[in-house]
Amino acid sequence: MRKGVAVLGSLLALGLCLALPKLVSSYRLLTYTRFLLLALTAQGWNFIGGYTGYAAFGNVAYFGIGAYTTGLLMLGRWHVPFFPALAAGALVSGAVAILLGLPILRLKGHYFAIATLGVAEALAQVADNWDSVTEGSTGIDLPIRSDGEFFYYTALGFVILGVLCTAWFSRSKLGYGCVAIREDQDAARMLGIDTTLYKGLAYALSAVFAAVAGGITAYQNVHVTPGDFFQIDYTLEMIIATIIGGAGTVAGPVLGAAIYQLLSTYVWGRFLELHPTVLGLIIVLFIVFLPRGLMTVVGRRRAAGERRFRASDLLANVRAHRVT
Amino acid sequence: MSSGELGQIVVNAVLLSGILALVALGFSLVWGIMNIVNLAHGAFIVLGAYVTFFLHELLHIDPFLSIPVSMLVLFTLGWILQRGLVNQVIRAPLLATFLLTFGLELLIVNLINFFFKADLRSVTTGYSGAGLTLGPARIPYARLGALAVSMVLVAALAWFLKSTRTGRAIRATGMDIDAARLTGVKVAAVYASTFAIGAAMAGAAGSLLSMIVPFDPNLGGTYTQRAFAICVLGGLGNVANVVLGAAVYAFVDVFVGASWPSLSRAVTFAILVILLIFRPQGIAGKPA
Repeated sequence: MRKGVAVLGSLLALGLCLALPKLVSSYRLLTYTRFLLLALTAQGWNFIGGYTGYAAFGNVAYFGIGAYTTGLLMLGRWHVPFFPALAAGALVSGAVAILLGLPILRLKGHYFAIATLGVAEALAQVADNWDSVTEGSTGIDLPIRSDGEFFYYTALGFVILGVLCTAWFSRSKLGYGCVAIREDQDAARMLGIDTTLYKGLAYALSAVFAAVAGGITAYQNVHVTPGDFFQIDYTLEMIIATIIGGAGTVAGPVLGAAIYQLLSTYVWGRFLELHPTVLGLIIVLFIVFLPRGLMTVVGRRRAAGERRFRASDLLANVRAHRVT
Repeated sequence: MSSGELGQIVVNAVLLSGILALVALGFSLVWGIMNIVNLAHGAFIVLGAYVTFFLHELLHIDPFLSIPVSMLVLFTLGWILQRGLVNQVIRAPLLATFLLTFGLELLIVNLINFFFKADLRSVTTGYSGAGLTLGPARIPYARLGALAVSMVLVAALAWFLKSTRTGRAIRATGMDIDAARLTGVKVAAVYASTFAIGAAMAGAAGSLLSMIVPFDPNLGGTYTQRAFAICVLGGLGNVANVVLGAAVYAFVDVFVGASWPSLSRAVTFAILVILLIFRPQGIAGKPA
């Protein structure tokens, strides 16, 4: 019964998503495309941050690599069409993630977090200074394509692919291995899990997703600069979206991205000057009240069974992490 | 690089390392005791700098005399933030405190931006330009004074942690929270004072920095990263490690900055990551 409702709900949502470009203005469509691209990066982050439990704080690096690779291939000598260029960007990003992941995935906890932050900063500096390839801080200009529906459907396609990919991942040997690493790395190794390989693959997957989002964003925005495509806000947004929705769940990142984008557009879009301040406030409130995301509230609701869902269930979430 | 330039670089590194030790001190304390990487630490430093700036601008108080005030302000703020927010998620997964303190950083930095504008500020006193000449190198008095104050504060904190009852309670909680609780330590109060002391140290560092380098609200992130790098280099666990880490960091930073200015951050981080892989406990820290 519950399963039937879920399937029906998903089909309805899918139909709505497909029909959306015919229903809203092209300006609103831009907002929805942004939501889909955010969902895509969040889905990527979910593999390494949610399932594997590694606090990756530099995924914007792969967003930037994807944007630059896609853009540079479409320009210059080669004039590669968009989709092959996008695929190349994803591949390059994944390869870089594996190469960088080999050393930095050996770090744990805070050390890993800051090392990834450093990687993102370092790559931004490289893009800023490698004038012969990236044109430095001036940036590069892609061919123009002002077709909002094209970007919307491309992003939608990848998000659906991402949901399927996450659903497969969460039931695969790889996914279970990553969860085991999150819960206890030493025990996972004792069980015969090749932790280096599993962590590397999860990290590379997250990089591929970020790169695809980066490539689409680059094509849509036309102009690509290090300042825009390596800013830490992107990393933050994908983490916040995942956390809001629920890290380590299939639907969490998409749900979280939708809520984040809703808040961003309709609530604090009205206070442009205070935008980052309100972003900070939202982060603080969400972390204090829902440190494990919305999906845990759904979980608690299920556990509560037939009894009505009370505010105290929400508060139980808060009390669980306090020191007295 | 001539020998004169080299001399000045070495002098700069020594002067910088003293203040950087103070920058990293509170950060290291909070990390070591509470296992929290406080990403709002840099924002606390910037707040300290603003306290000194406004006391000097409006009331003409000498920047060195305003240090206790900024320490008191930041101590209070740190206490409130810990009791009200950080303590709520202290046992949640690592990412929660990481994000929470990052959110606080965003909040503080942008509120400062909103109210005081993003202008570059500096505290200029009658003795700002003066200094003594030592061979080919110049040592400004303000920097020398800042170095002295930093060293006094570092020594004071070391003494406090080693010899006072509260200090011992803080260290005991850092070693084993349950054992500390069993011996009657009020863990929540210890956590609050640890965080508040860390913030007060950041406030003092900010006051000193305001005299030496121009600052704006967005510098917070840079100082947090520096504090982190210093803790990684020195290792957590005691005050001497922080001083050592700051010295190493200052020399690396000054020399890399003089050789490859445009890639300084990339090179510094590469060095850090390499060090982390081979010596995750830091240069001086004991293996875990």
